[in-house]
Amino acid sequence: MSNNRVTRRQFLTYTITGVGGFMAAGMLMPMVRFAIDPVLQTKAEGNLVLTSQKIADITDVPVKVDFTFEQTDGWYKSDVTEAAWVYHDGNEIVALSPVCKHLGCTVNWEGDPAHANQFFCACHAGRYEKNGKNVKGTPPLGPLDQYEVAEKDGYLMLGKKIANTFS
Amino acid sequence: MNFNVKDIEQFQTQKQFIDTAIVPLMQLNLSDEGMKQSSSAVEYLMTLTMFIEQQFRGRVMLMPPFSYTDRTKNELLPMQLQEELHSTGFKSVIFITCDHFWSKKNENLNVLWLPAIPLESMDKTVKQRILEDQLKQIIPVLTEAWV
Repeated sequence: MSNNRVTRRQFLTYTITGVGGFMAAGMLMPMVRFAIDPVLQTKAEGNLVLTSQKIADITDVPVKVDFTFEQTDGWYKSDVTEAAWVYHDGNEIVALSPVCKHLGCTVNWEGDPAHANQFFCACHAGRYEKNGKNVKGTPPLGPLDQYEVAEKDGYLMLGKKIANTFS
Repeated sequence: MNFNVKDIEQFQTQKQFIDTAIVPLMQLNLSDEGMKQSSSAVEYLMTLTMFIEQQFRGRVMLMPPFSYTDRTKNELLPMQLQEELHSTGFKSVIFITCDHFWSKKNENLNVLWLPAIPLESMDKTVKQRILEDQLKQIIPVLTEAWV
């Protein structure tokens, strides 16, 4: 018999260690996975929504960017399309919510020919400056909300609504 | 504004601003041949009026659709509905429909007739563009009612 021949005793020890190891691993793996699960969960990109607007195409004239996200309302899931007015302000990209602060209509850029360079709400002639600040003497009582912005592969991403940062 | 509790509460405090009621007039065709086309028109009208509401929600109240079948069609009913809406405080009442029936008799009713566009076969971006185009046609009707 050569020395490296495996004895019956050794063979049994190896087999039991191996099988026991697998069994222990089988029990421990799910436990470990559950324990570290909160760390592995993705944050869903902080609810940023990718739009089809190229960053390079944004100028200092506000353009309307539509974006769609899924909204869960009880058990009912629906796709909601919202829009933002997006423009370049220096090096920064500004995305303003088009929802009028008066009663919630949708405002348009230069919607009134008499007031160039302003957002206009057709419902009650509310006006906002380019940075979203409401024009005194028109119905709206506050500035337009802003969206958080981010970039991904050259495309614009919009996040959640925040209060206007210009005023 | 929609006809739900949250919006109605706001409407009651802001009555002077919300002065237009929009009523979709919907024809329900319950025959075997007409049902599909009728549902397509209803889908289009619902989507469009919801889009109008979204754009002008501060001045417009979208009423639940007024629907009728061939046998319950009665041209006097919208007239009476209009009167009641006027007395609730709506200065203008605009009916929107895809049914030709109303386009002929609009002396006393402000009826906007639109051809039904089958939205069900379109993808999202085309749908959005069509709705925006349709809205552009409706804006003059609204601004005319508002001056």
